[in-house]
Amino acid sequence: MTPIQVVGLDLVSVGQIMISRPLVAATVGGLILGDPVSGATIGILLELFALEVLPVGASRYPDYGPASVAAAAVAASGDPLRHVGLAATAGLIVAYASEFTILELRRRNSQAVVRHMERLATGDAGVILAFHRAGLLRDLVRSFVLTGAGLGVAAVARTWPPMTSRGAALLDAMVVGAGLAAAVAGTLRAAGGYLALRWFAIALAVGIAVVVLR
Amino acid sequence: MKRGMLRSWWRLFVVQASWNYDRMAAVGTARALEPLLRDLPGGIDGARYQDAVRRSVGFFNSHPYLIGVAVGAIARAEHEGVPGQQIDRLKTALTSSLGSMGDRLIWAGALPCASGVGLALAATEPWWVGPAVFLLCYNALHLTLRTWALRAGWRAGAQVARALGAPFLRFGLRIAGPLAAVSVGFAIPLVADWLSTGVSPLLHGVTFGVTAVGVTIALWLAPTFGGLRYGLAMAVAALAAGRLWP
Repeated sequence: MTPIQVVGLDLVSVGQIMISRPLVAATVGGLILGDPVSGATIGILLELFALEVLPVGASRYPDYGPASVAAAAVAASGDPLRHVGLAATAGLIVAYASEFTILELRRRNSQAVVRHMERLATGDAGVILAFHRAGLLRDLVRSFVLTGAGLGVAAVARTWPPMTSRGAALLDAMVVGAGLAAAVAGTLRAAGGYLALRWFAIALAVGIAVVVLR
Repeated sequence: MKRGMLRSWWRLFVVQASWNYDRMAAVGTARALEPLLRDLPGGIDGARYQDAVRRSVGFFNSHPYLIGVAVGAIARAEHEGVPGQQIDRLKTALTSSLGSMGDRLIWAGALPCASGVGLALAATEPWWVGPAVFLLCYNALHLTLRTWALRAGWRAGAQVARALGAPFLRFGLRIAGPLAAVSVGFAIPLVADWLSTGVSPLLHGVTFGVTAVGVTIALWLAPTFGGLRYGLAMAVAALAAGRLWP
């Protein structure tokens, strides 16, 4: 087990210090694989998708930590045709699968509550500790399995499908477009209201001006 | 500082480890609360400790960074001998208010705001600057909030509504959304420019079109479809088109 394989724990169970955000996880993944710039690039792209996620209560959301590690593994392959679009696609596939792992984890935790309802009701601190540790262990296993599966997806994506330079450029353009759409829509939905929309438009205009004048 | 406070604060970092649909964050909250109850009259073998721990595993949920408010307030109420029914009502009231406050302040405000700063720097500065500044900015607020939450809850006890009316919280709630909008709005052109380096003008048009369609779908046509699924759909379409356009 490597530290990077437990990145998924940060999403809910441990700390939530945001080391599982794509901007961090993919950059660190790239760094470990010897190509931090590729890791950071794919981290930027997946961070756009992650901006849409509101990890609220019982809602269903993806775990972009293991997804970012998988994407960084593809991006760091050194193949320029798999550098952005295909790497992000591998990450998105893992992120999609991760939604189901989170639902399964919660379901198993709920089953454990039902099973140990009477023992929990006794108010024994030892029982609470054991139950809590079991939940933590389940998430550790989830994170480990998901990251391992993600690295499997990455291993496939490093060689398949065959890419042409035009196909790769089109894939890059479309995935980047989808990421930008997710970030814009996610921010506007989360920030909400006319005031936020107005500030968003002003900041967007300033950002465009900075790009043009640089 | 109250005895057990540091241990309780530390346990708040794993408060959601056993999150479930049945009790939600209750077991993690009980685990964080327990060190603050050890010095109740009678100690850990006393009836008050046993009753308090038993009560603490009942349904509870909140934003993870603000659970400390509830932990501190409940512990104080237990020490002051507030009746159990009143403590249960306090937990119920805190469930919705802390959840809603934390979601607006953190998930919809501080996190996208720090992310926007990180993205803008990642696209314009050396590779390590964006992630490092993102982590520093975000966690400065995160750790401050967790620490404040536990202390404020303990100070206020059953009168915790006072702590939730703190001016800095009200101010934070007012500016969180607009700040996130400014941060991400400014970062998006920089990121788009960085990710489109070396791409032909024709494909710039494709990127713009995919963005416009995606925003329209997400905000008006099918808000539940989600950016992840849209991204996967676009990737499949691009891979298929790439095969036809060798």
